[in-house]
Amino acid sequence: MALESFKAGSALTMGVELELQLVNPTDFDLTPTASDMLDLLARKPFPGDVKPEITDSMIEISTDIHTRHDEMLAQLRRIRDALVAAGDRLNVGLCGGGTHPFQHWPERRIFAKPRFKELSGLYGYLAKQFTVFGQHVHIGCASADEGLYLLHALNRYLPHFIALSASSPFSQGVDTLFDSARLNSVFAFPLSGRAPFLLDWADFESTYFSKMEKTGVVKSMKDFYWDIRPKPEYGTIELRVCDTPLTVERAAALAAYLQALCRMLLERNEPPPREDDYLVYNYNRFQACRFGLDGFLVHPQSNETLSIREDILLTLRRLTPHALALGSEAALDEIQFVAAGAGNHASLLRHTYAGEGSTQSMVAEAMIQFRKPRAT
Amino acid sequence: MQDALMNALTQMAWPAALAIAWVFGEVANRWLSLPRISAYGIAGFAMASSQGGFLGDPSGEPVARLADFAFTLILFEMGYRVNLQWLRHNRWLGATSVIEATGTFAAVFLVAQAFAVPQTPALLLAALAMSTSPAAVLRVANDTHSAGQVTERVLHLTAFNSILAVIAFKAVIGYWVLESAGSVYQAIWHSLVVLIVSGCIGALFGVAVPGLLRLTRNPDHNPTVAFAIAALLLTALTHTLNFSPLLAALTFGMVARHRRIVLTQAQRNFGVLGDLLTVLLFVFVAASLEWRHVTTGIWLALAVIAARLVVKTAATTLLARPSGTGWRKGWLTGLAMMPMSVFVILLLEQTRHLHSGMLDDVAGIAAIVLLLEIIGPIVTQQALRLAGETQRREDR
Repeated sequence: MALESFKAGSALTMGVELELQLVNPTDFDLTPTASDMLDLLARKPFPGDVKPEITDSMIEISTDIHTRHDEMLAQLRRIRDALVAAGDRLNVGLCGGGTHPFQHWPERRIFAKPRFKELSGLYGYLAKQFTVFGQHVHIGCASADEGLYLLHALNRYLPHFIALSASSPFSQGVDTLFDSARLNSVFAFPLSGRAPFLLDWADFESTYFSKMEKTGVVKSMKDFYWDIRPKPEYGTIELRVCDTPLTVERAAALAAYLQALCRMLLERNEPPPREDDYLVYNYNRFQACRFGLDGFLVHPQSNETLSIREDILLTLRRLTPHALALGSEAALDEIQFVAAGAGNHASLLRHTYAGEGSTQSMVAEAMIQFRKPRAT
Repeated sequence: MQDALMNALTQMAWPAALAIAWVFGEVANRWLSLPRISAYGIAGFAMASSQGGFLGDPSGEPVARLADFAFTLILFEMGYRVNLQWLRHNRWLGATSVIEATGTFAAVFLVAQAFAVPQTPALLLAALAMSTSPAAVLRVANDTHSAGQVTERVLHLTAFNSILAVIAFKAVIGYWVLESAGSVYQAIWHSLVVLIVSGCIGALFGVAVPGLLRLTRNPDHNPTVAFAIAALLLTALTHTLNFSPLLAALTFGMVARHRRIVLTQAQRNFGVLGDLLTVLLFVFVAASLEWRHVTTGIWLALAVIAARLVVKTAATTLLARPSGTGWRKGWLTGLAMMPMSVFVILLLEQTRHLHSGMLDDVAGIAAIVLLLEIIGPIVTQQALRLAGETQRREDR
């Protein structure tokens, strides 16, 4: 199967996918009820899209294509309300969070669908350990080359998204000391990491993808688990490093932050990306996963060490005109609120653990956060 | 000399019976995929003295207290898994519960009347038949690592119909006391007062134990032992005062859960302690039965079992869609609710102070208990398996 052609569309549209946890409200462990939820949800028109994920304690929702933050948020809230109502009828709790804090991975069951069974056969325990929950954000691109440009120009901002969304401090019952432990599970896969440094779609197709395809290692773009990957059939690039935040408000804000950032990058006022930018890439990514907003990143071109928190606050200032143009000031306020004071959801969950002393209480808090309608 | 030898053998009887039942359980589970508890029941019945075995009639013996304790642990866990919020969000589930329980009562009463069973025993039989055995359902669900809609519904409906069965049973006892002794005071005491006080004792435990755990909070401490000791205390207390340990234990679990003060995971089944006591519980129940009682009531028993199954599956199937699941899962829910043995025997055992020959008087009950002790868990296991909710071996 050759690489699909890049379906170029309107620039700066956005779409969000969220992988969500299904938990039992009695013991707060994950519960294999995806098919029950999907059956019940299928009875009424769903305000978005919902589908199963690799293990049957998770479901994935996605929004339509939006250009405005407020519309995206409104749809995410309708989706959330529909999910919560269905969960209430079935005694199933829903929540965000990049990992379930204490789930025991050998107990997970692979959802009965050929592709998932195949992946499980190939990856063994990695497939079950991959019971992690991420947010994916798609940004529409006017052309394939613009997509590749954005993909690489974003490399220096990637730590922002990891730090802002991080909500997976615990794994298998223990504090990992990471803000995003989820990404460590993703890195275990052989085709994870960064995309090759190619800025021309024809090059990408002929010199990279077709060679990879000939090796037999990959069949389609789906087999790459890159941090940012092009999605030719949608005409988008897809940012995949975010943990699913605890609230849909945070999820919508992250999408709008990326949208504004892309708008700024497309003005091409920044020095263009280079292969050498990736020298510090893994280090920066580690800092964001481990320390969240308190981490430090090395600027790939000036080699300066910057606090991730400070860097986000500075970026927000530069984004103000773009937010104004896109109508996403409220989203940037939310990002400002996270970076300047409130902290990410990993710190909220750690705080809950410190107060309550149990990993169950973290899930209970995550369920409350998810269903709580918020005024902002 | 002979006396001493007999004495020594008597002392050995229960430990030996447990060992034999356990071995049989493992063998039957491994080779026949039989639920372990069904195997314990078969072993217990075969070893009872009335069948020529070496186990004397256990009712009224100290081992009966141990069985009570085992059941209290199970009822506590059952209560702890009940989410009353679910009833608020899903009224059809509450409707299902009321309809299946009262429907069973009515149907079984009519069947008993058709078999010319006198009124009071017929009412008692109908009240007992409302219940699903929490012990069988919970053990099968935990042993097979079952999780999903059918599992959740079976557990909730079982907790509810057990409560309704105790209420109906105590009401019939009250009516019966009124008829035989003619004392309104005694009738109220044995029904209403027993119910209310038992519930209150359970609720008190449900508030006090989590509160105590909160006070002595130790993050590494597993609350399982605390809950087990509380259950032991609760069994002794309610038994001494002739209240209902069943109702108290269920309320204890439910209140403890909704107090949610301690959010730590207690071990499923109370760990090894629960596993050990389960062997004892199921051997005890089957050893209480006599072959001659079983044979005399067999036709009535089969009719009651059939009526009960029809009503329960009809209710869960017809109300499946409104309550948010499919016909098939509704039907499987009703099917999985078949067991009833343990609950019945212990309820009768705990009424011994009023009338000790209940197993003789309530015709058919011995046969129902024996049949369902063996068949019930098998049906529950198959229903959960058909629903796709049990952990497949290759998945572990």
